[in-house]
Amino acid sequence: MPLTPELRRGFWRTMCLSRAFDDAMIALYWEGKLPIFQFGAGPLPGELHCSNGAEPVGAGVCAALGPEDMITADHRPHHVAVARGVDLDRMAAELLGRRTGLSQGKGGHMHIYDPAVNFASSGIIAEGMAVAAGMALARRLQKRPGIAVAFIGEGAANQGAFHEVCNMVGLWKLPVVVVVQDNEWAVSTGKRESTAVERNSDRASAYAMAGEWVGTNDPDDIFLAAERAVARARAGEGGTILELRTARLAGHFMGDQQAYIPAQMKQVDPLPLYREKLIRDGVLSAEEADAIAAEAKARIARAVEFAKASPWPEPAEAMAHVFAGEPA
Amino acid sequence: MSRILTMARAGREALDWEMERRPEIVCLGEDVFKMGGIFGTMDGFGAKYGPERVISTPISETGFIGMAAGAAMAGMHPVVDLAYIDFIGVCYNVLLNCASKTHYMSGGAVKVPMTLLIGTGGGYNNAAQHSQCLHATVAHIPGVKVVYPSNAYDAKGMLHTALRDDNFVIYLTHKGTAGVGWMGPPIPTTLAEVPEEPYTVPFGRVKVYREGTDVTVTGLGMSVHEALKAAAELEKEGISVEVVDLRSLVPLDREGIMESVAKTGRLVVTDEDYLSYGVSGEVIATVAERDPGVFKKPPVRVTMPDIPIPFSRPLEQAVLPLAGRIADAVRRLMS
Amino acid sequence: MATDVIIPHDLWEEDDKTGSIVVWLYRDGSTVRQGDVIAEVLVEKVTLELVAPASGVLRIRVEPEVVVSKGDLVAVIE
Repeated sequence: MPLTPELRRGFWRTMCLSRAFDDAMIALYWEGKLPIFQFGAGPLPGELHCSNGAEPVGAGVCAALGPEDMITADHRPHHVAVARGVDLDRMAAELLGRRTGLSQGKGGHMHIYDPAVNFASSGIIAEGMAVAAGMALARRLQKRPGIAVAFIGEGAANQGAFHEVCNMVGLWKLPVVVVVQDNEWAVSTGKRESTAVERNSDRASAYAMAGEWVGTNDPDDIFLAAERAVARARAGEGGTILELRTARLAGHFMGDQQAYIPAQMKQVDPLPLYREKLIRDGVLSAEEADAIAAEAKARIARAVEFAKASPWPEPAEAMAHVFAGEPA
Repeated sequence: MSRILTMARAGREALDWEMERRPEIVCLGEDVFKMGGIFGTMDGFGAKYGPERVISTPISETGFIGMAAGAAMAGMHPVVDLAYIDFIGVCYNVLLNCASKTHYMSGGAVKVPMTLLIGTGGGYNNAAQHSQCLHATVAHIPGVKVVYPSNAYDAKGMLHTALRDDNFVIYLTHKGTAGVGWMGPPIPTTLAEVPEEPYTVPFGRVKVYREGTDVTVTGLGMSVHEALKAAAELEKEGISVEVVDLRSLVPLDREGIMESVAKTGRLVVTDEDYLSYGVSGEVIATVAERDPGVFKKPPVRVTMPDIPIPFSRPLEQAVLPLAGRIADAVRRLMS
Repeated sequence: MATDVIIPHDLWEEDDKTGSIVVWLYRDGSTVRQGDVIAEVLVEKVTLELVAPASGVLRIRVEPEVVVSKGDLVAVIE
């Protein structure tokens, strides 16, 4: 698919929607938690890992996928979920623990499941690697179309699961794209302090996979690289480790002061850059770009309203869903 | 003595004292150099002891916990911070088949002195993968000592004991008891006057927090403090509750449990871990095996039910073994 | 002679943020030494240490969980 103006406007829309979602959740998160921090207080309790800065990854990669493809994401799933088309109202309601949430309040923000768009996430680092490979294996055995994409962070590439799964993907030429989102930091640990190679895409050769690296955090470049990886997977040529340099503007989790990040490593917000680029390229006027951003905010405001107006689950519902085949 | 510490500070003091004197102690774990571990047990150690002894690792639990076991076999005493117990899934083989069994399989020829610091528990809406207790899952493995202090005095004394033990010790702290700011203000009953000089608290002895005559309530970690809240409520109703902190699962002070239940004749076992196949059953079996005749009424368990821990606040609050549920169980036993 | 224990202006960065004492590490009336960490102060999710500016007997003036700003007097050391 060529990089059409329509596609690029879509990237902007998706990025704005994702940013608006996270900004709204950050505001909700701090509601009721101060002056004395309490995890359980306010409308959005628990830990919250926001995607601010990683929006180009979700927008660019998901645009290269079809509805039959499957996604696993990690503890920072919002930008991928939004780009994939996960139901925004029900996702917001899940973050607020309401009965109308995707999981009826059972999962929370790290555990987003929307089978309607083949999306799943997990709070355990690199867990999605094997799950994605298994999904790809299933489609092969079922002789159905569909590839799998595992979204992980650069820190997860040092998990045993990463290396075991990459080997099997290479060995069996499974249609898997491993998207390594390199935001430079695993909590406080910098990539250079944790990883023996400069680029995780260089590790692909050890596993007979293709390796690609994109360093711009620009959805145009990300889309084109993702499209190549997806094409290889669909053609039966096997898997790709696609490492994308991105950003983590809101810290590891809410409340992370990021004092460990030196001034010279301060990260750049990709949204204003992409907005400027689209205007420069004549894809959008400034007014059109801002209208799209405003529309995104309004859409998320509706999702938050939906969530806030939704009922809480009844305490007894905690006991349901442990096993399939039992009355809920 | 008037100095009061949180559990986190007390543990840090013990580790610092041992590290100053024993070069074989090294710290490993994710973010420990800059952030000092989940509860700040190694806070400031990076600057004080340097990167050779305070080693921030990649997110490679299988690797670095296995390396800790290897370093222990080679004469070091590694102290590893594993943040949340939910993450043992990643490195379970080291716990299950290596660090726990090597001394036995070598006929006592090879020792594995290492201390694994892990945070447990929920109550702060972090859902099914970051809220578990799982202490029974590790205590079930032969060859691992498992301790679980619930106040600052024990936190310091039991960490000194762990660091001087020649075995693999898992040292658990419920996140809600540690007294770290991000979990909210400390629970008053977790705070304690802590001597500045080092001291040890032996493993395998229960601690009776509060003496009583009507009902024994056993707990560990956070459930001790919920039991204490319940006991204070029940006292107003004229019910005298003895609150017993197990505080050491392996070894377990079975005589200490028996002594209390023999006195009261009624037992409520509280546990934030899952109900089945766990510590709550073990406590009841301990009494039943010695003398089921001491029970005036069948014992009651107040635990997390056998469900993954739900995210939503009303759901999680409903299933945690909180003071209200404990008090209700005691009242039923007394009626 | 008494020394005021105030929340130092450099304890945290932003002047407009407030915090609260989450725990006093000495009881009211205890003897403290200059340099002892006498309280933990929580600002958002970050815990900071309040250090005794003098040696003497601690008289606590602000209980935990009360909102404090930079420059607030929270105790006196006599």
